[in-house]
Amino acid sequence: MSETTSTDLGVTPAGRGAPGSGPSDDARPILELRGVNKSFGPVHVLHDVSFAAYAGEVTALVGDNGAGKSTLVKCIGGIHPIDSGEYLFEGKPVNVHSPRDAAALGIEIVYQDLALCDNLDIVQNMFLGRERKNGIVLDEDTMEQMAAKTLQGLSVRTVKSLRQPVSSLSGGQRQTVAIAKAVLWNSKVVILDEPTAALGVAQTAQVLELVRRLADQGLAVVLISHNMNDVFAVSDRIAALYLGRMAAQVKASDVTHAQVVELITAGRSGDLGLTNGNGGAEGKEAP
Amino acid sequence: MMRAGPSQEEIRRHNLGVLLRHVHLGGPTSRAELTSRMGVNRSTIMALTADLTAAGLVREELPKETGRAGRPSLVVRPESARVYVFAFDVGVDRVVAARVGLGGVILDRRDAPRERGPFDLEALTAQLAGFAHQMLRDTAPDAVCVGAAAAIAGGVRAADGMVKYGPNLGAFDVPFGEELARRLDIGLPVAVGNDANLGALAEHTRGVGVGCNDLIYLHGDVGIGGGVIVGGQLLSGHAGYGGEVGHMVVNPGGRLCGCGSRGCLEAEVGERTVLEAAGRAGGDRVGRDAIRAVVEAADRGDVAAQRALQRVGDWLGVGVANLINIFNPEMVIFGGMLRDIFLGSAAQVRSRIAISALAASREGVRLRTSALGDDATLTGAAELAFAGVLADPLEALARVTSN
Repeated sequence: MSETTSTDLGVTPAGRGAPGSGPSDDARPILELRGVNKSFGPVHVLHDVSFAAYAGEVTALVGDNGAGKSTLVKCIGGIHPIDSGEYLFEGKPVNVHSPRDAAALGIEIVYQDLALCDNLDIVQNMFLGRERKNGIVLDEDTMEQMAAKTLQGLSVRTVKSLRQPVSSLSGGQRQTVAIAKAVLWNSKVVILDEPTAALGVAQTAQVLELVRRLADQGLAVVLISHNMNDVFAVSDRIAALYLGRMAAQVKASDVTHAQVVELITAGRSGDLGLTNGNGGAEGKEAP
Repeated sequence: MMRAGPSQEEIRRHNLGVLLRHVHLGGPTSRAELTSRMGVNRSTIMALTADLTAAGLVREELPKETGRAGRPSLVVRPESARVYVFAFDVGVDRVVAARVGLGGVILDRRDAPRERGPFDLEALTAQLAGFAHQMLRDTAPDAVCVGAAAAIAGGVRAADGMVKYGPNLGAFDVPFGEELARRLDIGLPVAVGNDANLGALAEHTRGVGVGCNDLIYLHGDVGIGGGVIVGGQLLSGHAGYGGEVGHMVVNPGGRLCGCGSRGCLEAEVGERTVLEAAGRAGGDRVGRDAIRAVVEAADRGDVAAQRALQRVGDWLGVGVANLINIFNPEMVIFGGMLRDIFLGSAAQVRSRIAISALAASREGVRLRTSALGDDATLTGAAELAFAGVLADPLEALARVTSN
């Protein structure tokens, strides 16, 4: 078997534990969507989508282009209101109608474009729109201290000065600042949209380690990625969307690369996934 | 069987060591915090800190601001600038000497590349001792060196620090510790440990594995070393060669290994295999740079590099699955060049684990990369050097100052 390659890995994990038959200690998810539907005019984008994110875990959200990942994230973030379905946070039903509602719950999203202002420095970016004030003037000292503490807490050592403009930072450093900005607000759920997409290998490694550290510190992290190595390197669970339906949400320790690729491209893999790959059936979560 | 309990004096020595270890690993800690962590009463903590302060191992300070009402509890800090050890790290492509202060602060260091070639004990020990002597010149006169230790990429006999085998260094039956101590000439022995074992210790005490009592650290440095911590204790084996997971045979009849066997994990996952599989053997780049170049190329779409990583990731997964089944670890840590290999082939590694590891063991295991990075083995050597003073602070200090 000296020439074992990825193709051999389509084997279902050993019968000693069926995929998804996780431990009974499954904690309650901090963020949960049940049967969410979303249409834009005649286009039905999300069909009865269920999704859960857990504190202390990285949940990868994978799917082909157009599978509905961005729409799902925007529904979670309050940019698109959901048409029907349940949105639960810490076990309680909530109404999220705007990004402000999501932020109030402790949900932060880091978009691919990072939304940082090149002409402002790191501290100014981290507090953009939520500046600390002391009377009527900005409380620069407190903001700088908080920014420094957050970066230190994330073991970020690559940034030299907090007062350097963001335009002088590398791609990886920008991503780091954007992530630090998201966790500065005692957030509980952080959603990262393709955080390693434009980065070189060394910086990708640093960002992946940062993503893992966020979860290890107790946050629920949702990672959107197309890179299967990134997904398998840091995730605890993998949620695969297929044509607007949740094909499966499984434990990363129970699936193989080939199974996840099948879920993404065909909506099913063996016992996992949608009962009818063309849709029609409800997205089935692994038991 | 009747056995007399430990004497008052033994308890005091033990407690001194425990307190010093708290401050050494946890950094500045308030007396109140120490009281609750050690579960002894306040006056005991006061007496213990007084002894350690008198010996110059710690100092007590008022905290800056606590933001709480009441008289603030004094903060106990390690005397990092005053109490230090020498730590050495001998890798295949790099040697490091460092002066590390109590509390784990690297006060000074010298790094140098190492040429691959035959092992030259004289030149190596002379170089390391030279670095130490350079650093010694910049040391304050009242500073005390309380130990010295080295990490080396090879199997080390526990009894006397003899490097029995180090195929990737070309070292066999080398009295490395003895020779380095002789050259160093500061009246202290040099403890020697296997680099991956010390890496495991470092990640367990200061890295990603803090609070995790069952972990496996895998260290890639041309070959693959392993350190296994079970129930909080490093598994050393009968003579000290335990934990050599790199020489676990995963592919009988597979590639030839530097140890003489075939199909060892190290032979299927090591640097040579990665570079050969990627069609880059014999290039001018070796070591970490060469591995990173392969991962980079795979990321950019180089098919040969992708295949190489898939193949290597698959074998790495086989090895880790075996380890998970045998040891049921809470965490497996990838360090050295295995960090890059794991991140570049995680899909393969985890797929193989999902297929081959027992469900009960695999679902709880956390796969992580080293938090200490390139300094993991050096940090482990420093911890080994501090072991004496942490076991019996006053006695150890008296020994070194009387020299």
